[in-house]
Amino acid sequence: MKFDTIIIGGGLAGLVAGIKLTSEGQKCAIISSGQSALHFFSGSFDLLGYNGTKEIDNPIEAIADLDAKHPYSKMGTATVAALADEVKDFFDKIGIRFNGETTRNHYRISPTGELRKTWLTLDKHFYCNNLENLSLGKTLILNIDGFLDFHPHFLSDGLKRQGVDCHVASVTIDELQRLRTSPTEMRSANIAKVLHKDDSIVRFTEKVAEKAQGFDTVILPSVFGIYDSLMENYLVERLKCNVRLVSTFPPSAPGIRLQMMLKQHFQNLGGVYMLGDMVTNGHLDGDRLMDIHTANHKDIPFEADNFIIATGSFFSHGLQAHHNSICEPIFNLDVTNCGERQQWFDKNVFGPQPYMTFGVVTDNNFHPQIDGRSVENLYAVGSLLESANCLKEASGAGVSILSALNVANNILKR
Amino acid sequence: MDKKVALNISTSNFEQCLKCTICTVYCPVSAVNPDYPGPKQAGPDNERMRLKNADFYDKSLKYCLNCKRCEVACPSNVKIGDIIQAARIKYSTDKPKLRDMILANTDIVGTMASTFAPIVNTMVGLKPVKMIMDRTLAIDHHRTFPKYSSQRFESWFKKQAADQDKFDKHISYFHGCYVNYNYPKLGQDLVKILNAIGYGVHLLEKEKCCGVALISNGLIGQAKRQALLNTESIRKSVKEQGRTVLGTSSTCIFTLRDEYHHLLDIDNEDIKDGIELATRFIFRLIDSEDIKLAFRDDYKARIAYHTPCHMEKLGWAIYSTSLMRMIPGVQLTMLDSQCCGIAGTYGFKKENYEVSQKIGETIFRQIETLQPDFVATDCETCKWQIEMSTSVEVQNPISIIADALDVEKTMKLNKVNL
Amino acid sequence: MDKAYDVIIIGGGATGAGTARDCTMRGLKTLIVERFDFTAGATGRNHGLLHSGARYASTDKESAEECIKENMILRRIASHCVDETDGLFITLPEDDLNFQKSFVEACLKSGIKADIIDPKEALLLEPSVNPELIGAVRVPDGSIDPFRLTISNIVDAQRYGADVLTYHELTDFIFDGTSIVGVKLYDKAGNRTLEYRSKVVINAGGIWGYKIAKLAGATVNMMPSKGSLLIMGHRINNMVINRCRKPADADILVPGDTVCVIGTTSTKVPHEEVDYIRPTADEVDILLREGEKLSPALAYTRILRAYSGVRPLVASDDDPSGRSISRGIVCLDHETRDGISGFITITGGKLITYRLMAEWATDLACKKLGVNAKCQTADICLPGSEKHKDDNAPHTMAYKAAESRHGSLTNKIATGDNYSDSLICECEGVSVGEVNYAINELHVHNMINLRRRTRVGMGTCQGELCSCRAAGLLANSHGCSQRAKEDLASFLNERWKGIAPIAWGESLSESQFTSWIYEGVCGLSLTNNEDRQ
Repeated sequence: MKFDTIIIGGGLAGLVAGIKLTSEGQKCAIISSGQSALHFFSGSFDLLGYNGTKEIDNPIEAIADLDAKHPYSKMGTATVAALADEVKDFFDKIGIRFNGETTRNHYRISPTGELRKTWLTLDKHFYCNNLENLSLGKTLILNIDGFLDFHPHFLSDGLKRQGVDCHVASVTIDELQRLRTSPTEMRSANIAKVLHKDDSIVRFTEKVAEKAQGFDTVILPSVFGIYDSLMENYLVERLKCNVRLVSTFPPSAPGIRLQMMLKQHFQNLGGVYMLGDMVTNGHLDGDRLMDIHTANHKDIPFEADNFIIATGSFFSHGLQAHHNSICEPIFNLDVTNCGERQQWFDKNVFGPQPYMTFGVVTDNNFHPQIDGRSVENLYAVGSLLESANCLKEASGAGVSILSALNVANNILKR
Repeated sequence: MDKKVALNISTSNFEQCLKCTICTVYCPVSAVNPDYPGPKQAGPDNERMRLKNADFYDKSLKYCLNCKRCEVACPSNVKIGDIIQAARIKYSTDKPKLRDMILANTDIVGTMASTFAPIVNTMVGLKPVKMIMDRTLAIDHHRTFPKYSSQRFESWFKKQAADQDKFDKHISYFHGCYVNYNYPKLGQDLVKILNAIGYGVHLLEKEKCCGVALISNGLIGQAKRQALLNTESIRKSVKEQGRTVLGTSSTCIFTLRDEYHHLLDIDNEDIKDGIELATRFIFRLIDSEDIKLAFRDDYKARIAYHTPCHMEKLGWAIYSTSLMRMIPGVQLTMLDSQCCGIAGTYGFKKENYEVSQKIGETIFRQIETLQPDFVATDCETCKWQIEMSTSVEVQNPISIIADALDVEKTMKLNKVNL
Repeated sequence: MDKAYDVIIIGGGATGAGTARDCTMRGLKTLIVERFDFTAGATGRNHGLLHSGARYASTDKESAEECIKENMILRRIASHCVDETDGLFITLPEDDLNFQKSFVEACLKSGIKADIIDPKEALLLEPSVNPELIGAVRVPDGSIDPFRLTISNIVDAQRYGADVLTYHELTDFIFDGTSIVGVKLYDKAGNRTLEYRSKVVINAGGIWGYKIAKLAGATVNMMPSKGSLLIMGHRINNMVINRCRKPADADILVPGDTVCVIGTTSTKVPHEEVDYIRPTADEVDILLREGEKLSPALAYTRILRAYSGVRPLVASDDDPSGRSISRGIVCLDHETRDGISGFITITGGKLITYRLMAEWATDLACKKLGVNAKCQTADICLPGSEKHKDDNAPHTMAYKAAESRHGSLTNKIATGDNYSDSLICECEGVSVGEVNYAINELHVHNMINLRRRTRVGMGTCQGELCSCRAAGLLANSHGCSQRAKEDLASFLNERWKGIAPIAWGESLSESQFTSWIYEGVCGLSLTNNEDRQ
């Protein structure tokens, strides 16, 4: 099978690259071994939120302080700024609206009530520029009866510390009660599926409206729509007060929606998305990758002019940790020189864990290397890249999206 | 240190689960049937408990459709569906009911039914008979049994067998019960295409039902006997005669290739790659420029493709759809890849009818909105479900290709002279 | 505060808890004090092996006899904590098969049933055993859950009237001349100092008993010996597997609940380090290399975590060099030994002899108090182990799991409504009802306590999915979200302590995921960087 570009890995980075390339007329395939880390989406994209424990107000200005190996340093401040400016429009075209500005971080609220610096936040989700003035008024945090992956008391605690007049209650409808018969399956995605039906969302909205009487703002868990945002829009439009959604513990309904909409958009543009398949190996001719083989397609090869590897970090098995070494399992690409296992970790789980920065070594054009030689038509993007500590810096989504756009642009230029 | 030790990667597949909950999003059952514990609990979580004590086996595992969509979604390659089905085989003490045996024994019932096809077709279509089946056998009365053909595919084929030897290249065809008893035309369509590209078609020395329904209804002993027989026939074809074994049903092929090994513990690694779907076989020949297909100019159709669950698991939908896209007059839309709810015999059971229809709801709605000329799919039970639940006719991609094929031109292109 | 007890017991391990039960059953007014949580020391950091005594039969007949006697008693009185698995002592090609003969003889002499069985039969009985074995002996080993055992003793002691204080640390003794008449305690939660009077103080501090004795002015010659163990992801074996040779590193694989444990190593450590020990990378490697010889499945099973405990080995008083170390029970009357009256130290021994240790200490206390009461702890079942059969018990996975943890006390767990039945911990099947029961009745102040009482966070995900849910319930119960959130962060840090030494392969993937959720999505951080508890 022949394509212009084949992308290995169907998460945020892979899909963004695929959409960019197909929208410019390329014939692309994405091969993904299972669903992606978007399923644990916080509701916000981070660009660069922290320097150590210090909050960053303008991420673009802070790029200069990063290590030379950091993906942003490789792109350069100007490119990062230019690409970042495109992102809101990019998602807008797909039907996913974000709020936020590239040169000014805002705050999101985490499911446990922490206020964290971030870049872009999904429309209708909790967003604030100024902690002194949250302008929420009298606020009600409303959970769904028996939903254990949303913690209104933690949220309320976080908001009360900012001086918000905060109250907690819960709400339900019969269909959701029925879901509770199962001791485990009262999960965000299943709630979203129940509320995807017209009569359910109508009744649910009525119940919320009753509870919300007398409040200026209602905060709800983000469980409205894994396929689209129709139900979310309905709910918000019908309620007379402000509505702010906060993402839940996994799985994240807005994250699933993002994944589904990106994938759908890619397919609508003519892209081929193959889920549940694993790339087993590739054939190199000198410094060029000629084709790859997969577990499902075995002897039928996938050929392309360019390849992008976006297989993610340890969770997604883009990197594998062995007893005393790290490897990239498909092509055995060169990875960070990480030393003995004892040096991978910090004693404090919330400390700066060195292993989080491990990844594939690339040149400034994101060509990974095998035994020190760059593969000229292979590019690495996303959290597979070395050097960025996406948790400490709050940079995960930014690295994924921008490295993908950058590589897609370079492929298109060639 | 030993290399294996250095892995800390479990070959006990359930331990590869990272508890990320992704599988639960894609389970078609748990959102509509809260009695089912969902793939994560039923699979890797409870497997650990079952290893501690077999008492932890939960009967509600029977609600699993075995659609494997959890496996396709899993980012850690956990064979969740296999774990659940293997647990049913290992721990379930439920005896299959008469109804289950009737539904599962597709070829015995098929043999009887096709012999008296006109009578049986009328009988099972009659409302009073349906109500009796509903009450006495718990086969839901909303269900229409697929019509039985009065001439079996095997009988038709006997008359063609001699002609097939004339070709230079050969394959074996695992026709399955549906083609044999209900819809011989599909088999005839395959013969038409393969002959046009220069391949002779043969049957296996012996063919029994692949056993998918036996497995799901707990008739494991019988399933294993049939599986061993089929595997031997396939081995003979692949190894001795050098003939790839092709099928036109994604479920049969998936069962022969994967379920035999994973659930019935039959070692078929040596021949697994010799079993495949006909569309994949044909695609490969075109992709490697060994053959060409020519299509009729007057064939026009708006088609919507439904990806059967086992096709999704195989990852092979691209072959069927790529072939259909080669037909100039075809306008192909992909339906969302979701379970249609029938899952073989599952949806025929009275207790599952409602769940089955709820699962398929979004697909039915999508089809009714699109109103294509027909839906294409590679699985016969999906075909029944969609035909019973929508107003649109369903065809196998092979039949579509056969209808659109310009046989003479194709034969010429491939220099097939008989 | 000034309150008078007959006995104050220092130390909330199995021995302390057992002593509290024994003392109260004999009518003594008793207080038990623990500086952290029950089972925080060596009690919660061993194999959980219900020794048959076979391991000691060749070298220490007395210990072996104590073991088999207590083994049989615990099967009876602590049935809900015991898994009667039986054990194998296997001989591998590299071992001397002659050892087997003398081993069996020694077992029989100590009253331990020991049957030589055909290696093939051993493989049938325990399919995970190394198939290369050339000899096998079947003995009445088993496994015992030290967390359940200890808390069950506490629950019973309270039924008989004991007072219980956790997170209270002994800061000093109160003397009247050369007599100890009470203790000064620091209440960590309340940040205050308290004083309690008693006629007798029993030091049941395990290895920390060394410092406690020192505080009283006595010297007990203890040799801290660190042992590290690994917890494997699931139950590989259903019988205990030992090597039939002289005791060495990593030669026992014990099935326990949903997991199995391989151990141990053995290293002397200085007293100053006992509060800060962690398993090392070398120890992990030894455990895996040797463990694989017991059961090859270990090589391809996920490792959940590593942990270390410190054995309180005691050198005989007549040999201060420490060369002649006893694994037997040491019960010291400091009045006769050191001239300090009202003070007893009970130490040495093993988890399985905790009851006998308690009996000895209580006997001595009774003698000092002039109380003449018979020990009944060997005859009366522990709470949870009473015979029970509930025909109306729900058939849910969570109920079955709870029953295996709480035995006859499971009926105290709310069930039957959607809320109580919903699961907090999906790996181990712990319901909201069970968590609330533990919070309300089993001295749960934080997430670590909760884990020890219920297994929340002990499963495959090591707290990734369940800990926030559990923290939510704790917040509701304690009415303080901020405290629960800090507790959640330190719980995750405590989990990491055991994961870091084995964090490669799937364990590292899982850890990265956990960090994404709690540090990334939730933005949690550790406010008070405590290394322990």
